[in-house]
Amino acid sequence: MKYLDYIVDALAREAAWRYQPRSEPASEPTALVALALAAYGRDADAERARAWLAAAQNADGSVGVRAADHTPGWPTPLALLAWTLHDSPKSLESPSASDSPDYADCCRRATQWMLATVGESSPRQEYTGHDTSLTGWPWVVGTHSWVEPTAMSLLALRAVGLGKHARAREAATLLQDRLLDRGGCNYGNTVVLDQQLLPHVQPTGLALLALSGKEPATPLVAAALDYLAAELGPMTTAASLAWGLLGLAAFDRWPDAADSWLSAAAARAKRRGASHEMALLALAGLKQRSPLVHLNRQIA
Amino acid sequence: MTPQLLEQLPESNSHSPRDAAPAPRLAQIDRRGLLIGAGVVAAGAIGYPLVASAFAAESPVFLARNQRYDSSLERTIRDGLLATRVDLAALGGRRVLLKPNLVEPSRARPQMTTHPAVVVAAAEVFRRYGATVTVGEGPGHVRDTQMALYESSVGAALEDAGVEFADLNYEDVAWTHNAGRASPLAGFWLPQSVATADLIVSLPKLKTHHWVGMTAAMKNLYGVLPGIQYGWPKNVLHHAGIPQTVFDINASLPRTIAIVDGIICMEGDGPILGSAKAMGLIAIGAPVAVDATCARIIGLQPKKIEYLELGRRLGPIDERHIPQRGEAWRELASPFQIVEVPHLQRLRRKDAMLTS
Repeated sequence: MKYLDYIVDALAREAAWRYQPRSEPASEPTALVALALAAYGRDADAERARAWLAAAQNADGSVGVRAADHTPGWPTPLALLAWTLHDSPKSLESPSASDSPDYADCCRRATQWMLATVGESSPRQEYTGHDTSLTGWPWVVGTHSWVEPTAMSLLALRAVGLGKHARAREAATLLQDRLLDRGGCNYGNTVVLDQQLLPHVQPTGLALLALSGKEPATPLVAAALDYLAAELGPMTTAASLAWGLLGLAAFDRWPDAADSWLSAAAARAKRRGASHEMALLALAGLKQRSPLVHLNRQIA
Repeated sequence: MTPQLLEQLPESNSHSPRDAAPAPRLAQIDRRGLLIGAGVVAAGAIGYPLVASAFAAESPVFLARNQRYDSSLERTIRDGLLATRVDLAALGGRRVLLKPNLVEPSRARPQMTTHPAVVVAAAEVFRRYGATVTVGEGPGHVRDTQMALYESSVGAALEDAGVEFADLNYEDVAWTHNAGRASPLAGFWLPQSVATADLIVSLPKLKTHHWVGMTAAMKNLYGVLPGIQYGWPKNVLHHAGIPQTVFDINASLPRTIAIVDGIICMEGDGPILGSAKAMGLIAIGAPVAVDATCARIIGLQPKKIEYLELGRRLGPIDERHIPQRGEAWRELASPFQIVEVPHLQRLRRKDAMLTS
């Protein structure tokens, strides 16, 4: 696909990766770019991104939002994925997850930090519908567990072979609990004051990606898939489109027009110079061969 | 990768993350914090009293009725700013940041977010006086800011008007101390567009809020804090106390004023799922006085809204200290539906009778 070539080329040309053209390099864009460039066989450039993340890792194993940041550490699971999943599609049939000697220590310390990090939980509350006693991962230490950091962390634990760890199992339970009856999920609230909240595409895609695997789809997962299939379209913006398509791909669903949507979104993202959006689109463009999708198939 | 390997990379590719940190802007931010804390003294110190002191005994509020999104909002906003003692002529060459509410936009629920017509009209007013205008927002519930811009239609409106947008969730940040200290937070990370603004204009939608009663000018400023530091939602603030952090943020920002989109409002289960309520209002003034006035209009007692009670330290909430410009609030009062839970019903004005 032409659009995939030009966004991958553009990412490989960058000296560092950032949310916006004139902002500081940041960990989330760098981790997503590392995954994308590795998946497209741009090994040397992917290695630059992985090395940046390694240099950014804090002494406690976490990876902050930017290189100089010690907190919050929510990008840590993304860095762990970048260090772990660095095979191009050609070699995905015999993946080498967690066997990278260069980053073994980074992975070990990041994993330890993740396992020691918990979202704040509490007994179930009167006005909220979700189970507040479940523990996942927060955006910021000392706060509640939310969908996206929990989904990222579940994917990362699977990548390092801890998919059956108690934390991973509880994360999957939490993600199921945060799915809406009407289909999809949002940042992580379901019902407040007896009203069901609105779903959003991006967290739904990420949650489905994390929930995919050998378990049969539950009715809530099926409803979330239907929500995504109905919601995605030519005007869906880059990050939402990419995560949404990855979520569908993880369950072997792929809209017929998805490539044209990705192409249009890639053009918009490139104009903005948003590394993370371009990387996500590149990863989504691989469909079931995306390392994030393949990860769960391998586990399955 | 080892340090040795890093050294082998070409220079253009050798952005060591530890070296990539920006030069600290702490001095600049601290100065701004002091400027805010010192109120009118600070405004004088930089030579242009843009807005009346938040600490003044009186804080005027301008109200306009019968407003529509397809009418002359630019004129209304200009008149309101002048009526509330904003020195527009002093804004030439200054940086003005407009902060709409795009918390969780949905095309099916336009009553949730600031209407693009209000955003563009406000931008035009400040631009005509020579200010450099940026619209900035850090949506509280959605990571994909481009989606928020699309769903709210604000993105297309800004593009048509040639107004720059700043994604406050992902900008570089600088630290400022917490000038309010009602919460335990020592300070705040501010996006550069916020930290460097000469004037921040809160452009909220007038809505009920199912936790704190009402969201308008003060609560809207939650959205200036970056999600990458505070999360989605900005749960750090919730854990530190919503009313307390609303107050602290307002106390810690550079100078602020408010232009409230009260044309189509939200009542009931706000700030996301409530119903549309047509009011036709534009309210302008300092955030505390504007919010106190809006609370009265929608049938709530300002002194019962915790962040407004704290807000007394920034400006008056008592009616006798809020001179009315334009329309008088009593003629516009129309109590909003609020959720039937004790923590909200206790906010209701005793004389506020629901008519819808």
